[in-house]
Amino acid sequence: MSDMKDFRQTRRSTLKLLAAGTGMLAAPAVIRPAFAQGKVVNITTYDKFVPQEFIDQFQKDTGIEVRVRLTDDQGKQYNLLSAEGASPSTDIVTVTGHRVSQFIKSNLLAKLDTGRLKNWGNLAPAYTGAPQLTIDGSTYGVPLLAGFEGLVRNTDYTKASDSWSIMFEEEYKGLTSYIISDFLSITMRYLGDDGDYVTYGDKPDVAQAATNKARDYLIQHKDKVRKYYDAGSEVQQMFVNEDIYVAQAWSGPAAKLIMDGHPIELSVPKEGTYGFLYSFNVVNNAPNADAAYTFLDAILSSPEIGAAMTRQSGFASAFAGVDKVLDERERAANVLPDEQMQRVQFFSSVNRDMKNDMIDKATAEIKAA
Amino acid sequence: MRHYFSDAPKTALQASYWVFVIYLLLPLTLMTAMSFKDANFIAFPIGDWTLGWYAKVVQDKQFLEASGYSIFIALMTTIFATIMGVWIALLISAEGIWGRAAIFALACLPAVVPGLINAISMRIFIRVLDIPTGTGAIILGHTVHAVPFVVIMVLTRLRSMPNNLIDAARDLGADSFIAFIRITIPFLAPALVGGMIFCVLTSIDDFVRTFFLGGYQPTLPMLIFAKVQGGMSPEINAMATLVLIVTAAVGLYAEHFTRRSRT
Amino acid sequence: MVDSSMTETGTSAPRAGPAYAGWIGKITNSGLYSATVGLIANSTRARLILLLAVPLTWIVVLHVGPIYQMARISLLDNYPPAAEGPVYTLDNYRLFFQEPLYFLPFVRSLIFAAVVTVAALVVTYPVAYYVAKIIKPQNRTRALLLLLIPFWAGEIIRTFSVIMLLANRGAVNVLLREIGFIDRPIPLLYNYFSLGFGVIYLIALYMLLPLYSAIEKIPPQLIDAAADLGAGPFQRFRRVILPLSKDGIVSGCSLVYLTSIGVFAAPLLLGGPNSVIFPEIIASLFHGSSDKWPEGAAFSILMLVVSLSTVGLFMRVAGGRSVRLM
Repeated sequence: MSDMKDFRQTRRSTLKLLAAGTGMLAAPAVIRPAFAQGKVVNITTYDKFVPQEFIDQFQKDTGIEVRVRLTDDQGKQYNLLSAEGASPSTDIVTVTGHRVSQFIKSNLLAKLDTGRLKNWGNLAPAYTGAPQLTIDGSTYGVPLLAGFEGLVRNTDYTKASDSWSIMFEEEYKGLTSYIISDFLSITMRYLGDDGDYVTYGDKPDVAQAATNKARDYLIQHKDKVRKYYDAGSEVQQMFVNEDIYVAQAWSGPAAKLIMDGHPIELSVPKEGTYGFLYSFNVVNNAPNADAAYTFLDAILSSPEIGAAMTRQSGFASAFAGVDKVLDERERAANVLPDEQMQRVQFFSSVNRDMKNDMIDKATAEIKAA
Repeated sequence: MRHYFSDAPKTALQASYWVFVIYLLLPLTLMTAMSFKDANFIAFPIGDWTLGWYAKVVQDKQFLEASGYSIFIALMTTIFATIMGVWIALLISAEGIWGRAAIFALACLPAVVPGLINAISMRIFIRVLDIPTGTGAIILGHTVHAVPFVVIMVLTRLRSMPNNLIDAARDLGADSFIAFIRITIPFLAPALVGGMIFCVLTSIDDFVRTFFLGGYQPTLPMLIFAKVQGGMSPEINAMATLVLIVTAAVGLYAEHFTRRSRT
Repeated sequence: MVDSSMTETGTSAPRAGPAYAGWIGKITNSGLYSATVGLIANSTRARLILLLAVPLTWIVVLHVGPIYQMARISLLDNYPPAAEGPVYTLDNYRLFFQEPLYFLPFVRSLIFAAVVTVAALVVTYPVAYYVAKIIKPQNRTRALLLLLIPFWAGEIIRTFSVIMLLANRGAVNVLLREIGFIDRPIPLLYNYFSLGFGVIYLIALYMLLPLYSAIEKIPPQLIDAAADLGAGPFQRFRRVILPLSKDGIVSGCSLVYLTSIGVFAAPLLLGGPNSVIFPEIIASLFHGSSDKWPEGAAFSILMLVVSLSTVGLFMRVAGGRSVRLM
């Protein structure tokens, strides 16, 4: 019996120790909200987008506490903001250019007063007035990264191709992959139509016909597809595991594979492709709008932050002077011949409702076919 | 001990157990092996081996904080969900309660709703109630999700509980509360342990609810999801391996303790 | 498993009489106890109210409340509702019945969940039986631990480890190629096989634990008696063990069915172009680039009603007399 008491004792004290350890580990999380009465800025963004050294320095310089909520995709940010309604818990979100209009339509983003940003001029000239972030003459975000829908192939197993037609070749049956909604736009373009619906404003029947044509083409070639994917990490892993040889993928995830030394080539075929921008956007009714502006201005001040984002995401930075900070390999992964870059057309912000409706419908039909 | 079966079925059962263990462990062994890979993506062959990812992970303050935070939330969730789950199960199993089938269906509701829907509806709901997001909201969300698992586990066991056990205790002078503590709870113990395991697991593994209900402190799955977004790196495997080692150690310690205390 | 330590406290229970020894005695003899818990414990009505009030409040507020919000959204024509005030409509539900596009994945989901449930039952039953009845009691906890620990790695990690096993350059294909069995990798991933393999891998525990807890409490004497009466192993299983473990089968199947019908992360990662299931559709309505919350909400409500009634029906049919609550 006394033996048992001892064991109980040890167990109890061990449990106490465990509990205390847990408590200590969790303490910062539990206590933090309590003393966070001072100035704060809340950011929802991707892992490692904002370097820790920068956050530390910023907090020291300004006395504003930076709180980062990590996200992994656009849809979740949108759903979270929508669910929060008029009382958001976030000040800054990270939105891709072609999603901006969706956020704005739901009244989730505030116009950006670029006059309040001293360092606005530090953006690379091509992005200062980027049309994807400009809606009805107002700017809605600070551009961070630029990417495009690329043709990606494994150079060990495939021949070079200057056309999207490689995605439909018999040779690569069951060895291709794409994001349906993105590749539908590209297929429309490949078939000679306007995949971004910019010219279809008052011609819904023409748009529907073009959408159906591309949809039927993709259904006809469904046997070429190994998998429809959603996230960049999926297409990366499929390439690494040699589950696929050819794919449509965003330039960022592909560039990361190249940076890591995999036999991967990223290109823009002759039919052209679409590009997009990631941006930091101030949320409508942001609880700490002033701090958000201070933060955005500070971010623009340093090309190091642009470089950190490029390293993490593989996308090209929209900040001026980032090339000088990146090393040779990182730079090489992001640079395409000028002739190919000319073929990138940025997703527009007009006629989004028609585009989204038709593409979503066709996407469901392709999946169900 | 008697053999219930002749040797052939027994061997078959034993084989099925070990095949199942291999099924569970083999993929994880690969995952652990990948955590030693000296590259930014996981793949065969492993090529160069390194301990660098572990060095990085054990010094990663964010990882340690996230782990602690996850454990804290899981413990709180388990406590609340177990209490509420047992309570609901008692209600459902009580004689003469009207509409037990409906209560049971409603009690199971949160387990059926896909995580994303559950998370969004919960987020809208707590906004309506004016509950702030953060640790409390996460625990609430996890608890609601975990309760059905406890209810189902406990109900299964409760149904086979002989009524005369409680009656006997009453005859011996115990009031119903004491009878509950001394008779019902010990009888439910295996189901409770099972239910608690489900609570901890669903809580510690949850990502969507935490994202919608949480504040600015990441839990472990949130951190891992965010990291996967930047590519499946061996660093993530190293984190998972450490989690497994710690869990196994705690499990073995508990087992060791119960074994010693029994003898 | 750990139950033995818990029942430990139960076995050292004091003898008859209301005077308890130890900490329970200290508590029950205190004035505070008799004024509060004791009062409740000794009054039938107070006990009934306590039994009813708290869980019912919990269920109504926290289980039904959020779903009520979802149901409300499913009846809106637009979310967030227009400034002039919400417009209610049944169109979102009508869409499901008018559009054959959604019906196929819906049926596929139900069948998929049923197949996964049956497969999980067949795979885990012998395992649960082995641990509960054949392994020596002192080794039981260890045997269970071995089964439990893999589930702590987290869903995303476990999904990716399945990918590392089955990919073209995954362990299986590399091994087969090494021993010269194949020249070209066999495509094991992104089809129904990998989907089933992965989902069972993720949720087998929800079957295993209820089964274990049910089989473990079957009295060994019953099985012995059947053997003494000349019943062969198969007969003993069919006539004694199976009926007595029915509770575990019913609750295990319910848990697995309900869980597997709602999973969408694993199908997204492990499924192929022809295995799109319903939760994916719902998720894409919420996550998609246009605002389809009301449709997504309507579809979730439909799925909820159908899956809950399936389980209810199953419990009534399979559970029979022993599941009296249905």
